[in-house]
Amino acid sequence: MTDTKNLKPVSTAKNGKGRRMSNSTRSKIGDFMFVLPAIILLAVFTYYPIAKLVQISFTDWNLLKPEWKFVGLKNWKWLFEGSGAKYLWNSLKVTFLYSCGEIFATLVGGMLFALLFRRMTRSFSAMRAVIFVPKYVAMSSCAVVFLWILNTDYGVLNYLLSLVGIAPVDWLNSQSTALISVLMTTCWRVVGYGMMIYMSAMIGISPQYYEAASLDGASKSQQFFRITLPLLSPTTLFLLVTTFLSSMKVFQSVDILTSGGPARSTEVFVYLIYKYAMVDFRMDRAATSAVMFFIILLLVTVCTMKFSQNSVNYDS
Amino acid sequence: MKKLLALLLTACMVFALCACGGSTGAPAAETPEEAPAETPAEEPAESADKYAVNEPIEIVWWHALEEQYNDLVNEVVEEFNNSQDLITVKPQYIGAYKDVNEALVAAHAAGTGLPALCVANTDYVASYGAGGVFENLDPYIAATGYDVDDFSKGLLLSSQYDGKQVAMPFLHSTQVIYYNKTVADENNIEIPETIEDFPAFLEAGAKACGYGTVIPGWDQWYFETLYLNEGVNIINDDNTCDLDSETAVNVTKMLKDWCDKGWAYLATGTDASAAMRQKFYDGEAFSTMHTSSLYNNYCDKCDFEVGMAWYPAASTGSKNSEVGGCVLGIPALNDQATKNAAWQFLQFLCGKEVNMKWAKGTGYTPTRLSVLTTDEGIKFLEEKPAFQCVFDNLDLINPRIQNAAWSELASTWKNYMDVMLNQGGDIDEESKNMVVEINEILEDSVS
Repeated sequence: MTDTKNLKPVSTAKNGKGRRMSNSTRSKIGDFMFVLPAIILLAVFTYYPIAKLVQISFTDWNLLKPEWKFVGLKNWKWLFEGSGAKYLWNSLKVTFLYSCGEIFATLVGGMLFALLFRRMTRSFSAMRAVIFVPKYVAMSSCAVVFLWILNTDYGVLNYLLSLVGIAPVDWLNSQSTALISVLMTTCWRVVGYGMMIYMSAMIGISPQYYEAASLDGASKSQQFFRITLPLLSPTTLFLLVTTFLSSMKVFQSVDILTSGGPARSTEVFVYLIYKYAMVDFRMDRAATSAVMFFIILLLVTVCTMKFSQNSVNYDS
Repeated sequence: MKKLLALLLTACMVFALCACGGSTGAPAAETPEEAPAETPAEEPAESADKYAVNEPIEIVWWHALEEQYNDLVNEVVEEFNNSQDLITVKPQYIGAYKDVNEALVAAHAAGTGLPALCVANTDYVASYGAGGVFENLDPYIAATGYDVDDFSKGLLLSSQYDGKQVAMPFLHSTQVIYYNKTVADENNIEIPETIEDFPAFLEAGAKACGYGTVIPGWDQWYFETLYLNEGVNIINDDNTCDLDSETAVNVTKMLKDWCDKGWAYLATGTDASAAMRQKFYDGEAFSTMHTSSLYNNYCDKCDFEVGMAWYPAASTGSKNSEVGGCVLGIPALNDQATKNAAWQFLQFLCGKEVNMKWAKGTGYTPTRLSVLTTDEGIKFLEEKPAFQCVFDNLDLINPRIQNAAWSELASTWKNYMDVMLNQGGDIDEESKNMVVEINEILEDSVS
């Protein structure tokens, strides 16, 4: 990178021709003009809303009222000391449990399905398509279908359970099963995606490793744990980070299936923010919670990236 | 180059922050010059010309009448469009009341995309009135001489906030008990007049069908009247909550007792309403506590005779109910020409001419007192005799509790009811926790 301190103009005002830019400066300005639209878009659609969000968290803005005033740290105090704290921790717990479930389904389920369906035959291609297709079904549609499947009285799942003598389960209205029900919907959707990502990564592993390992007498499980798994670690990291971030932002399935209930047992963080803003009209509280959420996501993502630098194997 | 980029990004952030800080106490959607008029009714009426429509205009009406009412909505709108030349109304179905609320509040906050006329659940009148979402209609009523005396007093009060008519009564209902009349007649089950008789009704109903009744838990409106009639204020004069008082706790314990005995259950969850109705249609629930507006729906779906009864009187003797359904309001942030057109259409929608049309087509109660004694009104009762219990008690239908923090309070209450009745929460302890939380909400709403 050129040191800009050492740049000197090629001509001065002395010769009466005015100041001229060097080719290098002109080139830099040209480069800058190319990125300017992106910077403007980022400023308007990302930085400005973030700044606005931070500002609202220090006001008493009720969505219905045309006026607001600054209230200092009142909302932040409420978030950590008042009733806000109770629901903050509850939603963090619920979101964390949900994220663990979705990550588990994507990573473990995806890996198992990839191992199961990796044969390159026509019938296996068809089966892979069947597993993968739910990813392309809109979450709202999935949730509506599962609403029917999980219905206590008329749902297919309880009907199937009754065939083997199991009493009907109140899937969506019991604190102990509601989150599991939401996760079931999610798993059905994401497991195929995990499978496809892992499969494409598995195909990229050189067969020579396996040949050498089998010549050395390594068993299939040893080959999996010593070759496949380590070489899939960049893929695992990718899936872990993307799934974690998307799972933390879960909203639609919760909104349609349980509306955060029963008794807040499925009230994930984004749903909590939505509730403050659109049900209680408390934009100030919603903004405070959203800023908190932003900070948490940022911290966890940075930690994940730091941790992964030391524990991911890159084949190349 | 890196430094330049970094500087520019920082400048952008500073600019954004400054832009935010620059607003001195008003959000992006500021109240325009045509802020809601607050002319008291006593002041001399303005000229009707001010509210006249002089130019052709197209306006949008947001409603919550589902697909099954499409024909009726289109018929009424077409009738209005054909009745004059200047205003063209486009009806838009937005969703349930909750969806309409979200869409309206978002549009109000953005200051754009507002409909000319919008329905709102009676629950939201206070919030919209306090927030200036709906236009104060008093000057319009005074200037155009619109006859509001023909509405029942309770309905008119339910569309007011702070003494101002911020909306007009449109489609109204109240809480009733639907019961399986065929089963009741076969088993000689008597309809309870008082809350003391209610357990016998539930027990007999449960014996015959499975559940004696279903208490809707997705909207506190259905059970709050049980508390109010027992003398619970819910919000005291000093802006505190009394849902942990002995009386309130006893009502909660009574409901819990019904649930524990298997006579009733609190229906919660996103599909609770549909599931509750299905249980009733299938004969698995003897009765349901629901809104009178769904009478047509119940009758159409059931292959047995459906009875409709008033809630039983409380131990205090009170048998009041609360108004439900929706009002019509004109968003205050619209320009005056749009508001004038909306006012013309609102008068038509709430008019005597179409009042029975709505009542017949939807199952909502007629809002105009004068239509009840007309041939049309008498015929209505002949066709739907079950409505007699509603007509007999029209004077007992009261407005909702009006508090700007009501929505927040209600969601907290519903959540705790679920905890106490369905999830095994201790009623005494949870009632106290609930009230601490609600008091915090109430205190915060006035500070």
